[in-house]
Formats: sequence, structure tokens, C-alpha cells
Amino acid sequence: MTAATASFDMANRTPARRWFDDPMKLWGILMLIPYALVFLVLVTYPVAYGLYLGLKPQSYVELFRDPAFAVAAWNTVLFLVIAVNLKFLMALALSGFFMAQRGWVKAILVIFLLPWAMPSIPTILSVRFLLNPEWGLVNAQLFKWFQIDGPNWLNDPQIAFGAAIFMHIWKSLPFWTLILITGRMAISKDLYEAADVDGASRWQQFRFITWPSLAALYVTSTILSIIWTLGDFNSVYLLTGGGPGDRTHVLATLGIRYLRIDKLDLGIAAIITAMPFVLPLVFVMVKRLSRGPQDD
Amino acid sequence: MVHEGLLQGRGVKVDLSLYSTEDCITKSVGAVEARTPPDLGYCTTYDFRTTGKWAIEGRLENLSDIINPMKSAFVPDALETTLLFGPDGKKAYYAMPIQRQTMHMNYWRDMLADAGFKESDIPETWAENWYFWCDKVQPALRAKGQRIFGIGHPLGVAASDTFYSFLMTAAAYEVKVVDDNGKIVLGEAKNRAAMVEALRFYTSIFAKGCTPPSSVNWLDPDNNVAFHGKQTVMTHNATISIAGKHLDDSNNASLTAEQRAQAKKNYEELIVTRKWPKGPKGNVIPNLAATKTAVIFADGKNKRRAREFMTFLMQEDSIRAFTEGSAGRWYPVTVESTKSPFWQADIHRRTVHQQFSEGTVPFDFVYNWKFTAVNAENVWAKAMQRVIQDKVTPEVAVDEMVKRITEIAG
Amino acid sequence: MNSRRIREDVRLFLVAIPVLLWTLIPIYHLFILSISNEKAMLAGKFWPDEPTLQNYRIVLNQQHYYLNNFWLQLFNSFLVAAAVGVITLFVATLAAFSISRLRTPGGRTIMNLALATYLIPAAFLAVPMYKAMGSYGMLNSKWALILAMVALASPYAIWVLKQASDKLPAELDEAAVIDGASPLQIFRLVYLPLMAPSMVAIGVYALLLAWNEYLYAFLLLSNEKQLTLAVALGQFLGADDSPWNILMATGMIYALPPMVIYYTFRKYMVSGLTAGAVKS
Repeated sequence: MTAATASFDMANRTPARRWFDDPMKLWGILMLIPYALVFLVLVTYPVAYGLYLGLKPQSYVELFRDPAFAVAAWNTVLFLVIAVNLKFLMALALSGFFMAQRGWVKAILVIFLLPWAMPSIPTILSVRFLLNPEWGLVNAQLFKWFQIDGPNWLNDPQIAFGAAIFMHIWKSLPFWTLILITGRMAISKDLYEAADVDGASRWQQFRFITWPSLAALYVTSTILSIIWTLGDFNSVYLLTGGGPGDRTHVLATLGIRYLRIDKLDLGIAAIITAMPFVLPLVFVMVKRLSRGPQDD
Repeated sequence: MVHEGLLQGRGVKVDLSLYSTEDCITKSVGAVEARTPPDLGYCTTYDFRTTGKWAIEGRLENLSDIINPMKSAFVPDALETTLLFGPDGKKAYYAMPIQRQTMHMNYWRDMLADAGFKESDIPETWAENWYFWCDKVQPALRAKGQRIFGIGHPLGVAASDTFYSFLMTAAAYEVKVVDDNGKIVLGEAKNRAAMVEALRFYTSIFAKGCTPPSSVNWLDPDNNVAFHGKQTVMTHNATISIAGKHLDDSNNASLTAEQRAQAKKNYEELIVTRKWPKGPKGNVIPNLAATKTAVIFADGKNKRRAREFMTFLMQEDSIRAFTEGSAGRWYPVTVESTKSPFWQADIHRRTVHQQFSEGTVPFDFVYNWKFTAVNAENVWAKAMQRVIQDKVTPEVAVDEMVKRITEIAG
Repeated sequence: MNSRRIREDVRLFLVAIPVLLWTLIPIYHLFILSISNEKAMLAGKFWPDEPTLQNYRIVLNQQHYYLNNFWLQLFNSFLVAAAVGVITLFVATLAAFSISRLRTPGGRTIMNLALATYLIPAAFLAVPMYKAMGSYGMLNSKWALILAMVALASPYAIWVLKQASDKLPAELDEAAVIDGASPLQIFRLVYLPLMAPSMVAIGVYALLLAWNEYLYAFLLLSNEKQLTLAVALGQFLGADDSPWNILMATGMIYALPPMVIYYTFRKYMVSGLTAGAVKS
């Protein structure tokens, strides 16, 4: 394919002509202009402006003095480690479940996609209300049946943080499950049939057929998911608001917290502080993703 | 809830944006920072969070020329809170007093009766009053199988209710945080000790299991919601918005007749508004009052129009209509309006009127504008969280509080 | 064989139940709150006493203080989502054609820059974007939100379209060039028709992204007449009497259009969007 394209390029290019005489190049450049503009105006400038605002050393002194920052940084690490791994283990298992050749399983898949198809706000707020310790359904039922005051859910820092992780997984699980289903569908049925004939166990089939075929996809998806999870604002902000007492903030919500208490500079400083950890991941992913299909 | 009539017939098109309290401040700060502020701004948290800061940073127009001619129309307590330091280091009126609020207690009369108590059973002394709801009313209702909390007690970091109630408690313990020159005196032994007691007492309501567990994360509306839902028997709130909601409901055409009748009964018979009890030493707790401010931004585009509008708004008829349009939630800043029959119309309003008539004290940020930042960060609620979540002693939490306040406002 | 199938079914069933509960509880709860009156909302029951459509009536008739502009805000949400869908599609299709088919020099670099933008969490760009829009004097205009969402949606759009475009056989263009077609003709006559399925997926992706966006909409829009429904919903959190039942009714209405769009185009979405991640 590469060779074919090259020869096709050659056939239409006379070295003597300048770029604007070559319709391919001329149109190629013209067609890139809209995105180039978007990039310059809406990405380069904001980022440069942000960096400029982040130059004040005083912001960093204040940032590191603010206990909420250390808490948010640690929370972010926890959130990533727990949410991403849990989500992918679940997605891996569920993708197997959804491969079952049953009509009703396919119907469940359609329902299962709902969290992905629905906007975050109403569903997250619904859970927020569900878990309200006084008037939420969960604790009301606990009191009704057992006359006990249930857990303080979103007002206990640990439980609230766990709930935010749950919310994140709830919302993003369908997407990653779909990805892994697509990966599983690419595996030839013959392999499993042959394994069946050989009397291989379920685990052996997974270990020697499924996993080797899925591993690369699993790793790519995991890295991608790490980056997206890092930016999940809604799950934390709409569920716990970063509370109680700023104990459940993550870096994605910290910027807005600083905006709310009129300290925008600290928000920018917090993001810049996170960059040394984010950029290597971004770099790795750009390399992985920008390889065309022909390179694989 | 601006009266539409106010804005009509002036030949000027007014572009009006309404926000929830918390969004209002965020939006305003963003617009001011971006140097694209509206012509005129009014949020009910400006005074807590930004007015003093903006004045000294030169973000606001000096309104002395509007205020001075009508100075005698204002209640002095209210007006003095808007005499602020400008960028030139001189004091001037950089903000317009619009409305006032102070702290009240609300309780459900029917729930109290249901618990087997009369209103005359409510003690008027400090700890006895608070613990009456915790130790008497709550167990009595729980014994009947109801999942009730005695008090709706704001403890959330993101709620201005929290620092309002807490500073009122601090006032009950006669804590002085700053002196009249704005110097921080909280670190002095006497004040520190009193603050420790105030913090210990304020958090004890939570420790007793007397306030809903979620109150550690409450936003401003949540103590209202819990009270409306009859999950708490008593709550304390600045303004009578709690009762006011039921008055609004009783006139709300989108509700059923039955719902309206119930709301009317709630407002007129079942909900009581009262002032706080005596302080721990039998002292009278001063009414901690906040004066809400409207401002004209220095970077605004139509400052002349904004001044005209402000002048118009402050005419007795307009400002009275504006204030009374909020169903008693806000108390007037002009002497004339406070005499309006509106404030004698029912028990809730009479209580408000009574409290304001006794005289009020302002918040610390009036003496030291950097306290707007202390409030924005809600250092007070942070100290509560340290005691409640991290189980540190009130002494340690107050030491941290003093340290942080000195960092921010010293 | 038959007993094995039954055992298999039982096993599947044991997975299916928790999966359904997990998925549906938040949604079911959303629904029952939306049909609860104020008292039932706080009662915490599995099914409200006296279920009512009153909340929906209040929303549709704009009878609540925070819903005075409900229809306008719903329209704003549609407008913003549609504009983001169309503009993103325009920008991304051209860029993908240029990079993938015309092999424009520097295209690869632009592609990588775009990918990097896509990979940096949007929440991290929010505050700088907010400041930048302020300095463009665009705060409080729907265009600020539309442009910001285009900037967020187009990198992934370009990437997916480029992946799809790379899979088209080169012989197609070749044949067209030999027939004397100009790049524009190739684009219009060969490229667009073949790319249509991926473009549907990307258009819907951008549209839904914009419809669902809360953070950027909250930051960039102020005037209540400009707000999208997402921000209007968020405002309820600060309402004095927090009518969560009305909030949930509004939320149900707000969730409906994206669900309809999503399920209508589900086939395209799944193959189109996952094709990217699942390449190789």
C-alpha cells in the first residue's frame, strides 16, 4: 500500500513546479488551514497564556502550602490506579459475557450501553441523591428494615471517594467493554473450536487464545483510559463537589475549586505541576496512535 | 427575584442575568478578571467574598456622590459597612448597601408537640437550648420510629451558612477575631481560649449525632431542604428564607390547591422563627448582620447608565419594592423601609424586625478586607472538619486556624 | 449437550442480574424521583406514593424560577450541539483528506499535535481556555462554547477519519487522477461517499460531546439566555429550596435527545468510534 501510494504521488509531481502550481499540494495545504486555525486560536494561545499565568513563583509557594493540593494529588494517583484497573478487569470479564451466543444477552448489551449514551449530569445527580444519608433511598430503606442509620456515604471522605470511583466506572465501563468485545470478535472462532476438540479448559482457552490476542489492545486502551480518567471532572465534582472538606478533590476538579475561591493562579499552577507526569504518557500515546495501520 | 416593573418604562434596555448564589460570585470574579464586567453587579455574597478586595484593587467605582446626598436615609449600621478602603488608601463608599440579613432559629411547632413538648419548655440559656433539641426532642421522636435529627447544623466548607452560624457562635462566646483597626487579635490567650470553646461547642452537635451526617458536606440550601423535609426539628439560618419558601409555595399557581393550603399552614402556624438564646455566660448575643452590596465596576462599559440605574434603584419606592419582593428574606437598609407595615405582617417578619431594631454588629471583613479571603477559604469550616474528620482537639484546630488566618490576613 | 446449555444459561443469568442492576439503578432512581412530589422525594421509597407528572408539567410550562428559560436553553443546547457537529465534521474531514490522501507535507506533524491536544485532559485545558476566551472578549457568547468544543472534538475526529481514510484503497484516487480529476473532485466524488459511515459516527460523536458538556459550558456561558440545559441543571444545586424532583424531571428530558440519537446511529457509532482504538 505504501509503495502504491508513493508511485501515485510520483506520477503527479513534476519537480520543477512550485507548490502552489501543484494542485495536490495546494489543496492539501488549503484543507489543513481550518484545523491549523482551530489549533492556533483555541489550543496554542490558551496553553501559552496559561503557561504565562503560571510563571509566578508565589503561586507555587501558596499551592504547596495548601493542604488541599497534597490531598488532591494523592487522590488522583489513587483514583487512577483503582479506577482504571478495576474498570478494565470488569470490562475484560464482561466482554466475555457479552460474547455469549444468546439473543437475550445481546438485548442486555443494548441496555448496558445506557450509561454511555446518557449525559453525566442527571445520572450522577441521581446517585448523589440516592446516597444522601438522610433522605436518600438507600439509608431510608436501611432504617426501615433494620432501624439503623446507614453509612454517611458521600460525607465520609473514604466512602465518598469510593463512590466517585464507582461513578466513573459506571459511566465509562460500557465504552471499554465494547472495545474489548470488538477485540474478541476479531479472534478466529476456529481457534476455540480446535481447543474444544482438544479438551482445553475455559481458563486455558482464555490464557492461550484470548489473552494473547487481546493483550496489545488491552495495554493501548489502558493508557488511553489513564489519560481520560485523569481528566474526569464530572464524576467527582457532581457527586461529592470535592467534599467533605475538600477531601475528595482530584487534579481535574482542583482548578475549579481555586476558581471558586478566587485563586485562579493556583489552579493553573496545579495543572502545570501535574504536567511532568501527564506529558510522558501523552507522548507515548501519540507515538502508539499515530502509527498508521500499515506499520503494524 | 427582581420586580419586572422596576426595569420597565425607563427607555433603557436592561440585560439581566440571574444566577444561583455560588455561580454568581464565580461568574462575577471571572468577568472582573477578564476586564469584561457587567455594568452593575449584585450577588448576595459579594460582601462576604469580594467587595472589600475589589474596592482596594480599584475594580469598583466610588459611589460617594450617590450616597452622600441621601446618607440620612440609610440605617447607619448598614451604611458603615460599605465605607471601604480604595486603591488610594482612603475610605469612600465603593458599594451600595441594598439589603441586610441576620441569624435566626427556625423550628417546627408540630414536631415539637409530637415529641411531647410545649414551646415554653424550650430553655433560653445557651447549652440547654441547643441540647434540648439533641437530648430531649430527638430521642422522643426517634422513640416513635421517626428518622429525625434535632438540629440542622451547617458544617460544610462550601457553605456560607457554616461560617455565618459559626461566627455567631463565636460571638456568643465573646471571641474577638480582629480589633476595630483590623488587627488580628485571635491569637491572644483570652480570645484563643474562647474560640476553642466555641469550636468545641459547635462541633459537639455533630459528635452527639444530633445533626444529619451529611451536614459536614452541606451546601447553602441543604439545611433548608432537610428542614422542609421535616428531617430536622430546628435549624439556624441567616434570613427567613426557610419560612419564605412556604409563603412562596402558598401563592404558587403550579402547585395543587392542597399543596398551597399546606404551605400556607406551614408558614402561618407550623414554622416558628425566633432569635438565638442567651450566650454561655448569660450574655445577650449580638445580632451579627451582613449588608448585601451592589457595585458598579470600574471596567464597565456604561458607567453613566449604571449610576443612573443605581440612583433610581435607591429611591425609597424602588428599593422598598425590591426588598419586600423577596417575601421577608431580606431586611431593608433605609430607615423609612424598616417602618413599613410589611415588617409587622406576621410572626416571622416581626422577629426579624425586632432583631434588627435591637442593633447589629458587622462581620470582621468590615474592619479587615482580607477576611473576605478567610471566608472564601472558609477557614472556620476547615477547623470543624479537622475536629470532626481528623479527630484533632479543638485546641490544635484553633492553633491551625490562627496560623492560617495570620497567613491570609495578617 | 442440552444440560450443558442449561448450565451455561444459568451461569450467564447469574452475571446478567448484577449487570442489569448495576446499569439500571441510577437510571431507575432518576426516573422515580422525576415522578415524585416533594414529600415522596424525601421518603426514600422504591416507588413513590402518588406518582405524578406535575414535575414535568412545571418544567414544560417553565413554572419554576430556575426554569424560566427552559425552552430557550433546550434550543441553545440543540444549537450548540448541531454547530459543533457540523463545524467539527467540516474541519476534520478536510484535514483527514489532506493528511491521509493528499499526503500533505507537515500533515503528520499536525496530526500528532492534534492527538496530543486530544490526550491532554479537557478539564486541564478548561481554566486556560476560560482565560483565553476572556481575552478574546468572547465570554458569555455561545460561540465561545461552540469553538471550545470544536477544539476538543476535532483531534479525535481527525484521527478516526484518517484511520478510516487510510484503509481506502489507493487505486481509487489513482484511477481518478488518471481520468484527470482534480483533488476537489476526488474529495467530492470518491472520498465523501466512501467516508460517509465514519462521518456519521464522528458527527454524532461531536454532537453528543457538546450536548453533554458541563464544565466548559458552565465556565464559558453566563447570561441565562445563553445557557445550555446542562448548566441550567447544575444551577439547581444552589437553589434555595432545591427541588430535586423537578431537577430530575428536567434531567430526564435533557437525557432523551442524546439517547435517541445514540441508539439511532448505534451501528455507526460502535464500528466508527471503536475502529480507531481497535486498529491493528
